[in-house]
Amino acid sequence: MTFTKTLPASRGLPLAAMGVVALLAALFLIPVVIGDEFVYHIFITICLFAGLSTAWNIVGGYAGQLSLGHAMFYGIGGYAGVILMNMGISPWLGMFVGAGVAALVAVVVSYPCFRLQGPFFALATIAFLEVFRVLALHFRGLTGGAMGLMIQLKLGWEWMVFRERLPALIIAFGLMLVCLAVAHLIRSHRLGFYLVATRERESAARAAGVQTVKVRLIAVAVSAALAAMLGTFHAMYLTFIEPAAMFSLSFSIQIAMFALIGGIGTIYGPLLGAALLVPVTEFARGMLGAEALGLHGFVYGVVLVLAVLFMPNGIMGALQRFTARRTGGEEQAVQAGPVVAAARTAESPEERPAIGREVMRVENLDKHFGGLHVTNNVSFSLREGEILGLIGPNGAGKTTVFNMISGFLQPDSGSVSVLDREGRFQNPVTPGDFAALGVGRTFQIVQPFAAMTVEENIMVGAFYRHHDVNDAREAARETAHRMGLAPWLNAEARGLTIGGLKRLEVARVMAMEPRILLLDEVMAGINQTDVRRAIDLMLSIRDTGVSIIAIEHVMQAVMSLSDRVIVLNSGEIVAEGKPHDVVRDPDVIEAYLGKDFAHAQY
Amino acid sequence: METFLQVVANGLMLGGLFAIISIGLTLIFGIIKVVNFAHGEFLMAGMFLTYLITTQLGLHPYASVVVVAPALFVLGAVTQKLLIQPLLSARDEHVQIFATVGLSTAMINLALLIFGADIANTPSSGLRSSIQLGPVRILEGQLYILICAALLVVGLEFFLRRTQTGRAIRAVAQNRAAAQLMGINVNWIYVLSFGIGAACVGLASSLVAPLYPTSSTIGTYFVLTAFVVVVLGGLGSIPGAFVGAIIIGLLDSLAGFYIGSDLREAVVFGVFLVILILKPSGLFGTRLKLSHIS
Amino acid sequence: MLNIEGIDAGYGATTILNGVSLEVNQSEVVTIVGANGAGKTTTLRTIAGLLKPTTGRILFEGEDITKMSAHDIVELGITLIPEGRQLFPDMTVRENLLMGAYRRGARDHQAETMDHVMELFPRIRERLDQHASSLSGGEQQMVAIARGMMARPKLLMFDEPSLGLAPIIVAQVFEVIGKIVASGATVLIVEQNVFNTLKAADRGYVLENGSIVLSDTAEALLKDDHVRQAYLGI
Repeated sequence: MTFTKTLPASRGLPLAAMGVVALLAALFLIPVVIGDEFVYHIFITICLFAGLSTAWNIVGGYAGQLSLGHAMFYGIGGYAGVILMNMGISPWLGMFVGAGVAALVAVVVSYPCFRLQGPFFALATIAFLEVFRVLALHFRGLTGGAMGLMIQLKLGWEWMVFRERLPALIIAFGLMLVCLAVAHLIRSHRLGFYLVATRERESAARAAGVQTVKVRLIAVAVSAALAAMLGTFHAMYLTFIEPAAMFSLSFSIQIAMFALIGGIGTIYGPLLGAALLVPVTEFARGMLGAEALGLHGFVYGVVLVLAVLFMPNGIMGALQRFTARRTGGEEQAVQAGPVVAAARTAESPEERPAIGREVMRVENLDKHFGGLHVTNNVSFSLREGEILGLIGPNGAGKTTVFNMISGFLQPDSGSVSVLDREGRFQNPVTPGDFAALGVGRTFQIVQPFAAMTVEENIMVGAFYRHHDVNDAREAARETAHRMGLAPWLNAEARGLTIGGLKRLEVARVMAMEPRILLLDEVMAGINQTDVRRAIDLMLSIRDTGVSIIAIEHVMQAVMSLSDRVIVLNSGEIVAEGKPHDVVRDPDVIEAYLGKDFAHAQY
Repeated sequence: METFLQVVANGLMLGGLFAIISIGLTLIFGIIKVVNFAHGEFLMAGMFLTYLITTQLGLHPYASVVVVAPALFVLGAVTQKLLIQPLLSARDEHVQIFATVGLSTAMINLALLIFGADIANTPSSGLRSSIQLGPVRILEGQLYILICAALLVVGLEFFLRRTQTGRAIRAVAQNRAAAQLMGINVNWIYVLSFGIGAACVGLASSLVAPLYPTSSTIGTYFVLTAFVVVVLGGLGSIPGAFVGAIIIGLLDSLAGFYIGSDLREAVVFGVFLVILILKPSGLFGTRLKLSHIS
Repeated sequence: MLNIEGIDAGYGATTILNGVSLEVNQSEVVTIVGANGAGKTTTLRTIAGLLKPTTGRILFEGEDITKMSAHDIVELGITLIPEGRQLFPDMTVRENLLMGAYRRGARDHQAETMDHVMELFPRIRERLDQHASSLSGGEQQMVAIARGMMARPKLLMFDEPSLGLAPIIVAQVFEVIGKIVASGATVLIVEQNVFNTLKAADRGYVLENGSIVLSDTAEALLKDDHVRQAYLGI
């Protein structure tokens, strides 16, 4: 599921763009030049499937929600078109009615299904498809039931029904272009970044202020509307529809299959998949006729199995690997490159702004997991421009506290208030609320959007302040530079070292321009030089007036950074104060080193 | 009253049928955490095999199980070894889904290529004759299916709880990494489990074939109900699948009689969606299984 | 007994261990000390065969086990008691212990080992028929250790046995580990509770950013300035 190299900025673009244009031109010109009915039919079918598959890809690829019920929307479009046409309304209008209904159905159907993952989402979509098929069979008055519906033969552009094939090709081709354009638009704008981020790491996306449910609903609505429009066209092209054909599971599977084989999640993969597979099987069907009943389906099935085994990223993935090999092992070089961080710029510690008013107030947080009391009556506050260290042994409840002060976990009791820009205290609930108040967080276990480049990862954060792609890219680059990530801007996040990933985690949050920064063990597992650099970086962030709460195990960092330290043990605050006082506290020593050690010392 | 009892009896019989075809599916999911979208086609393959054995060799359909169950075991084991195993570590879940979806598509169409679109009728050997049980009449073959389903549940539970291999299978299902640390060969357990699950489908095929006409799409017809049953019973729970099957059988029968036979499926799938969305762990799902869903 | 020679290991493209070499001799208690994320758990997982090193060799009793699968390594007599207990939650305590004795070398002596383990963990005896998930964290840790003992391993590895436990329970866990050590077992232990562990160990290695930076007797490490500053906080 590679995502990167279809972007405008990627190398080898002119070649790829030329390839796409050539393919599109061929799709239209070949049948026109040959002029054969059967060839026309094949190319119309390619355009139909390419369009459907591209629409599916917005949900199945970008958003990673594997729908096997997309024929549902296609069928809705088909029925809307035919029923309205038989009432005397042009399918050009019916098309939009169908699209509207399909979008509505998609939102209603998908909303509850988003909590299901992987195979369960797929199963739910299959079940919905079956329900629609059964309902279409049942409401005979409207749909003609199992007998199907025939359209009244009214010819001409107005009714989208023709004797010749060329107009149908023009419409199919046009609709396919619309689908491709929409897919391209989504992918290259904020929505596309948000969708992929949500797919890759939902919690990290939420921390970056993405309303994950909303962006997915937009995606399914758009995808369903496009599929419905193609359904209306296809019904007019077929002139006859029946529930078994319009709400078919195998048709749904085909739609998804072309995307997978072409390259799931890429813009042009579905087009490529349909353009390669439809002709092969349609020709086989045309040549062998009834003798080869099932042959094309068998070929599809086998190709699908082979594709997942040997080419899981589809044709696009294979092409990328090919071009990557030709340009030389660039990614290797990128990983092995030296760390050239330019962290702290000018400020020296003496110039730091004074610690200001309270910006976050945490009162009496309590949380149980089953019988375990993970946080017990935790209260503290954070001031403007202050660095607060949160330390304690593993399992003390530090990350649980973080989850509660960023909206990822609801406390059993107690409250978290954050000062808003107008100077009033608010009680945020969801991660989105916290993000809106300027609270940004990192995760202890790094959560990169693995299939995105470093730049795109940071852009997901930057989109919170900049809605325009170019502005967000600019801001992301600036942040990357500050964080010493500039050399890797175009490297995929999954290729970074652990130290790099930690920095990326901070960079993504910094791109949101937070006022309160929650850092969960950003120094764990990085080497001494990087620790020194990270300390400078945090100080420079603080000097811009940002307040920081840092969970940290690296004592050296805690001591030199923190204005104040809170020690958590078994879910309770056991000490609080200046770093040097806290480490001498017997309770703290006992918590960290055990009773024996405490006794041995005092 | 008599009609009602008959409808309930029909529902119970249908429940037995749903149970026997669902047990293998839930077993495979519970252990390997892979949803086998080709499950229905395994059933289809077993039914065609039963058809061939009974018509070509003249055997009783039930006797064909000695060939069908081992054949399906091999089919399952090979599927796991060659198709699922290489994809278990895949970063993206969609490849696992597409793998068995592709297998399903290929098998349906292969059957279409070999047997054509015609229906294959396995000789019923008297199993379609009805018997009177008190106030209700049921098909003999259906009664045997219900009994076999119940015995299979008991047998599998005994195997999983009381034998060393069975315990190892459960250990792998509950905590794969820890099972490895006990010295259990996890990949081998997976192959074995997929084989056992498929062999259960083989048993089901030989029981179902004499009662239902076999066609290339018979699997799709049954598998959707099997998914409903398995989700209702709690994915991975074998007794759950049995109880879920009986509930769905009764629901199907009652809805067919009181609401309309053409809306039966809509009711069943409606229930499925409600359960999937509101209580994805099903009736007997444990915390462990839930964690794979939400 | 165990010799690790210059291994690199990690997850995917991320390398965590860089040229780690260490050895554990018969009847010795060795500890690996290091900060979170230094690669301690990765080292144990690599020895257990859950991770494959990209370079280097691992020898156990002279046999090269570098490429061996995890279950074969268990058969040879190396058992890892993993971080976070990792019990089989829906099995009874008894079943969990029986799974511990799954390896062929232990299966035949199951009953005998069970008696021995019950002596070490009298509290577990009362809980044999409860589901593992119904136990408290401390009890679960005891079952995890008991399960590891059931394998009658030649080398027993502990990964953070005191993780997330209350101090009083930690003391009990260390008491049990002390008994195991006293019985002459060969032990490799990774633990954030550096002080307690060094007190119980014969030798120790200090792991930082995936490399061994220091190795000495436990006694010497306790007195080492670097260790005192970085891990004991003084």
